[in-house]
Amino acid sequence: MMASDPPVVSTPALALWRSRSIGLLLLVAALALLPPLLLASLWLKVLTGVAIYTLTAAAIALLYRRLGLVSLAHVALMGAGGWVGLRLAYGLGTPFEVNMLAGGIAAAGLGMVFAYPALRMRGLYLALVTLMIAGAFAIIVNVLQFPNGGGGWSGFAVKSAGYMPRPAIASNDVGYYAYCVVVTALGMALIHWHEIGKAGRAWALIRRSEAAAMSSGVDVPFYKVWAFALSGFLAGIAGVLLAGNLQMLDARSFPAAESVMIFALTIVGGAWNPVGALIAAALYRLVPALLNDFGVNGDAAYIIFGAALIHALATAPRGIAGQLEDLASRLFGRSNGGNTR
Amino acid sequence: MKSHLWGGSAAIAVLLLLSAGSAAAAPSCGLNNGRAATGEPIKVGAIVGRTGPDDFSSASRAAKAYFDCVNANGGIHGRPIEYLVEDDQWNPEVAAQVATKLVKDEDVVALVGNASFVEMGVNAKLYEEEGVMAMASGCAVAECFESKNIVSTNEGPLPSSVGAAQWAVANLGSTNVVCIGLTIPSVGPYSCGWVEKYMQSKNLAGTSVLLDPSAADMNSAFLEAVASGADTVLVNLPAGMAAAFLKAALESGQRDSYKWISSTPLYDRDVPAMLGTDWSGVMYVNIELTPIDGKGPDASNWRAVLDAFGTADDPRDTFSQAGYLSARFFVAAILQQDPAKLDRATVTEAIRNIKNYTSDLLCGPYYVGPGDRHMPNHANMMVQMIEGGYKIVGECMDVDSAYLDPYRANEKALGIVN
Repeated sequence: MMASDPPVVSTPALALWRSRSIGLLLLVAALALLPPLLLASLWLKVLTGVAIYTLTAAAIALLYRRLGLVSLAHVALMGAGGWVGLRLAYGLGTPFEVNMLAGGIAAAGLGMVFAYPALRMRGLYLALVTLMIAGAFAIIVNVLQFPNGGGGWSGFAVKSAGYMPRPAIASNDVGYYAYCVVVTALGMALIHWHEIGKAGRAWALIRRSEAAAMSSGVDVPFYKVWAFALSGFLAGIAGVLLAGNLQMLDARSFPAAESVMIFALTIVGGAWNPVGALIAAALYRLVPALLNDFGVNGDAAYIIFGAALIHALATAPRGIAGQLEDLASRLFGRSNGGNTR
Repeated sequence: MKSHLWGGSAAIAVLLLLSAGSAAAAPSCGLNNGRAATGEPIKVGAIVGRTGPDDFSSASRAAKAYFDCVNANGGIHGRPIEYLVEDDQWNPEVAAQVATKLVKDEDVVALVGNASFVEMGVNAKLYEEEGVMAMASGCAVAECFESKNIVSTNEGPLPSSVGAAQWAVANLGSTNVVCIGLTIPSVGPYSCGWVEKYMQSKNLAGTSVLLDPSAADMNSAFLEAVASGADTVLVNLPAGMAAAFLKAALESGQRDSYKWISSTPLYDRDVPAMLGTDWSGVMYVNIELTPIDGKGPDASNWRAVLDAFGTADDPRDTFSQAGYLSARFFVAAILQQDPAKLDRATVTEAIRNIKNYTSDLLCGPYYVGPGDRHMPNHANMMVQMIEGGYKIVGECMDVDSAYLDPYRANEKALGIVN
């Protein structure tokens, strides 16, 4: 159906990928295991948040990078995934992994519903639609609330909060941090796997020109919807991880403004490089925690974010990750052509 | 916000001038021996919602002033208290982070003066697992009163709103109360829900109108309240939102069709000026602690401590009183321990053993005990808003609610005399 695209999957690239994959595995293992040895409990808790939001930022970056789509609804998608995960945990007592997959699938379904307007709209109009969805979610969840062990289909009761069980293998903070790092790494591998495959080629064509993509036989609506589903799936997973982190969720954590913030920071971090998602999440969760720890008013983070966004828009269209990449290639004299747009 | 602060400072300045005579009295704290404590510090934590929708830190400011005063007066048998206050930013994730920092990294012996809308629900489990007690002062959520390791000096919205309704039924002849609250589940449905139950228990009518705090539409809330057919409106909202709601009610021209009562948030020195004269003589407010201009020893000492060790812009409100009192009770409890053996286990034990502590700032005795839930303070007073201030219209009255049954059973077992 689709013309094969040999240059993308050339042999040297595969070899590079293979050697890199071992390095990446080591990196993930180091990220998962080292911080608990070095850091105080506070920072482990903060880094757990960073790991979770890295997955969300990667999901947002996927849509932006591959299809040029702006989604301002990803924190709402996390909330939706978290809601389903909590509901299952309390209602059926299913294992954490099942809840996580169910949360991901539910958010993927929602993502596909979002994709419907995306088939017709782009740019500002799509961004506005997704922002409205985020707003609608904030209102709905404020009425429904997150399940806390109550009865009925909403699983909510006016009572002291219950606590959602964490995965059996990762019930303490140290284990849960490593668990989140591994799940996030798997999520990013899933994105990568899509990008080097058929879906990635289809997305690349769609981004260049929908008409051209259609004329080369790419099923444009299908691949657009698929990108939203994948992105939503990962955000939903991140939402259940977040629920497991606090062992509960609070409706006040999901205002529409948070979706806008994480999108803006994804751009600041850099949507063109996996490291960008990590930088975005660190800005989103680590910087406010650092400021708070230094005794700086928590709202000061917003000023920094604003400045960073202006900086990114004005001087670094590929974000901080892109700048770091340029710096590295300048320092080591190695061209990094594969990672540009 | 700024004008609010300015108004607050102006009001404090006026009060300072007016009370110059009594403020000259030296504060009395801890051992009260005038010697600065120099020993090994005892770490005590606090988590408050300082940045976010509202600044909810007045309790920890008062507790800090009291601890500074204790440190200047012999400390805990020579050991000073190192008071670590963290801001939860009204964010559950941040609340969990700062609690982990205080409890696990800093290894505080206890938390004193917590005031938050999010912290208690998120961290109750951590406190219990780590065996640390939180002597909170600004509790607004159900979890605060339904956890083994949290005890609060204030009452929270439930006794305050039920107390207001109870007083209105007895004194204003109310037969149908509509409670205006927030959708936050362990705040609005919790407190307004029990107001409804109270009204039903008296064969009267009660309804709730709950607002989304992030998108509150005061006009439609007021219309909903009108549609409920109530004769009395119980405003159970933070002060800023309450003012917006009352403005909508005033603009509709229907102020005089209803009796007006409120829970504690409308008891603040700045509120009468903020609402203007329209509500003078009309609004009755329930107060969780005794009046801020009380003449008793603790009321005077609280103001003296803040004057000497606090700053001029520290609020002098109910939560400040509660913060002072939590700190004072905490110090009284651990002063009875061997200072060399003060660690988390002995401090937790000392706090649990608190029994029949009294203060003129409270209507009843303060106690903790081994129970799985704590609400020592559940009697309250009523004041009427008058021009520029408040007038007491109802003396201390215990709250009549089935919600309190388990607490009363605990009291009976502990031998607490109300």
